[in-house]
Amino acid sequence: MSNRDRLRELLLDVFLLDPGQFRFDLTRDEVDSWDSLGTVSLAVGIQEVFGHHLSPQEATRLASVEDIMAALRAKGVDFGDA
Amino acid sequence: METPRPDVWSLSRLLAEDLGPTVVWASPSVRSRTQAALPFPHHDPGEGIGGDTQTLIAVGGGTLLDLAKRYRAESAPGLRLVAVASIWGSGAEASPIAVMNEEGRKVIRMGSAYLPDVRVPWTALADSVSREAAEAACGDAWSHALEGFLSPLADAAVQEELASVISEMLALPIGRDDRWFEASASACRLQSRASVGLVHGIAHTLEGPLRAVQPDFGWGHARLCSTFLWPVLSLDLSLSAGAASRLEASGLEVAAILDAARRVYLEEAYERAIPLLEVHWPAVLRDPSTRTNGALVRAPQIEHFRRRAFAA
Repeated sequence: MSNRDRLRELLLDVFLLDPGQFRFDLTRDEVDSWDSLGTVSLAVGIQEVFGHHLSPQEATRLASVEDIMAALRAKGVDFGDA
Repeated sequence: METPRPDVWSLSRLLAEDLGPTVVWASPSVRSRTQAALPFPHHDPGEGIGGDTQTLIAVGGGTLLDLAKRYRAESAPGLRLVAVASIWGSGAEASPIAVMNEEGRKVIRMGSAYLPDVRVPWTALADSVSREAAEAACGDAWSHALEGFLSPLADAAVQEELASVISEMLALPIGRDDRWFEASASACRLQSRASVGLVHGIAHTLEGPLRAVQPDFGWGHARLCSTFLWPVLSLDLSLSAGAASRLEASGLEVAAILDAARRVYLEEAYERAIPLLEVHWPAVLRDPSTRTNGALVRAPQIEHFRRRAFAA
């Protein structure tokens, strides 16, 4: 499974989305469950799936799926888009 | 950061203090004892207490104490609230959290207004509860300690203090022992600085439905925590390598912790609850406590519970 697919599956579970609701250009404002608890859950999931710790400051700055990918790229995760 | 905590008074100090006009709310199970020991008018819990009342003494389990915390916070902010736990487990006498039923849902309120001003250890009151209730209360206390420790919101200081509490709890028997009062008060006070997790997500979601369909089984928060702590801890450890390493880094043996969770496990209760867990699993996933679990909980993990993977 590619890292893009792993991220997509993770975000479906973290934010309790139906597959049809997901897009890689989703923003936090479009996702009801991307609240403070969702941010906590997202940080836990990223640790489990990608093995990278996000500080609370890093996690709360994320405002879109693209932000998440950028934060993971900065930690060395390859999304195959180089 | 220091955790806010109520003053701790002895029963004799409570009787000696000038409390002003005072009212007692007491659970039915302890009311004859409070009427004998506390020379104040007793009102039914939840009943208005009069505008000149300066002190409310609430004596009972977590539900009654949370009711009193809510009353003081929302209806009588100037009132002095004295909390006396009749059984350990909830830690409600020591925490700034109140859990309430609203339209069939558990709603969590938190803030300094919900913290009692004073708590009074009155350990003899635990004689009034059954052996089964005393054992389930141990599971409640264990759930607060472990879910707080494993919470993604627990900082190093909270983990260190909770590790100390957990070490003390490992030395206690499952069942009657007055030392559970202090252990559970500490566990609840500390987890209020972090969060709880899936055990509480399940307990908050299933308590109402289980009571509705099995009204004679005695379902309550403590019994649900006891029933699901071992299954959930097992799941957390299987999902998150960090959970075990955090316990071990604090000098806690994972095997000993799992054994403690297994000892509070209630097989018959689990058998009765699992069909409703399957029905309500989507709601469990949405529960705020579940969303701050130490490991990410996903829909397919209902299989862990259905197959009893923890007991394999």
